[in-house]
Amino acid sequence: MKLAVFVSDFKLTYDTLDRLKADKLGIIFVANGVYHATTKENGEASSLLNKTLNLYALSEDIQTRGMKDADVDKRVRVVNYSDVVDLIFNEYDKLAWI
Amino acid sequence: MATLTVGCFPGLIGNMSYDFVVKLAGAAVNKGHKVNIWFAGNAAGSVKAHQKHLKDYSTGEKHLKALIEKGVEICTCEACTVARGIQKPEGIEKIQWNAMHWYLAKIHASDRVLQIGGE
Amino acid sequence: MGDVKLAFVVQKPQYKGETSRLAITHAIAYQTVEILLEDGDTVTPTLCFVGEGVLGLQKGQKAMDLYEVTSTETHLKNCLLVDLDVLVCKEDLAKYGISEDMMPDAEDMGADKKIKVAPFSEIQKAMEDAKHILFF
Repeated sequence: MKLAVFVSDFKLTYDTLDRLKADKLGIIFVANGVYHATTKENGEASSLLNKTLNLYALSEDIQTRGMKDADVDKRVRVVNYSDVVDLIFNEYDKLAWI
Repeated sequence: MATLTVGCFPGLIGNMSYDFVVKLAGAAVNKGHKVNIWFAGNAAGSVKAHQKHLKDYSTGEKHLKALIEKGVEICTCEACTVARGIQKPEGIEKIQWNAMHWYLAKIHASDRVLQIGGE
Repeated sequence: MGDVKLAFVVQKPQYKGETSRLAITHAIAYQTVEILLEDGDTVTPTLCFVGEGVLGLQKGQKAMDLYEVTSTETHLKNCLLVDLDVLVCKEDLAKYGISEDMMPDAEDMGADKKIKVAPFSEIQKAMEDAKHILFF
């Protein structure tokens, strides 16, 4: 399956996400989930950034929190709502909000 | 054109997941897709009409009306809504009231489903 | 369109939040959805409990006595009564020290169906087989 997972929190455990397998896995950072894409903890980037090559972060939610698209880890593609719609319909066939 | 059904459970106030749903629905419908929204849990409290938009709080009514005008179908869980003291005549016009099977029926005909649970 | 399979995945504990209960009641609604569908169309949910979602499955719940709300135990029994497939993650039960006999059945209501303790791989399979996944 091609699964896009919306990550909307920063400091939570991701037991389920750690175990999920997909032929194509995408992680879309939204809401407080965008901190995974922008913020290092004790100098370390979020381990979620190693989970897949298909990483996205919602620009509106980055800017809402006072950060810039330029603050985003290079592995993460910054997207807007219109892009998210295209990801949903064109790149993935199932969605999960965790 | 494809169909997206979103299940929204978080409340309007105190949680910006609701705002995400409204924005995503708007973006999808603007691209020509069909969108259905199901409100349950605290989200069901957002269907009450005459919301005052205080700038410290998210607002739903004007966005929901705009989405409905664009063809988005919005339905609230009747049980969730009356449990919060809201009766149908007090609700925003053109928002549907139904039982949980409405959501499952819309899912049946959908290409994509995004279920956003409450916090 | 025929049957559409869904995977309902409950990952949060019961009672503090409403989401976990709503997952169960929404799954049960598969029983009545046919009134809104064309002839021959059906929806078949599989209700899966993973992570902290397994914590609320113990029998002997007193939610009705103490808070006047239907217990998760009762909702689960109703699931079994309407023949819903309920999968509970084996690894997560072990992690939290919950044995299979600590979970309810609905024999007293006449249900043959039982909760199935399943490895996460089986729950993953249910998600792969489903057209849509709903996380609660």
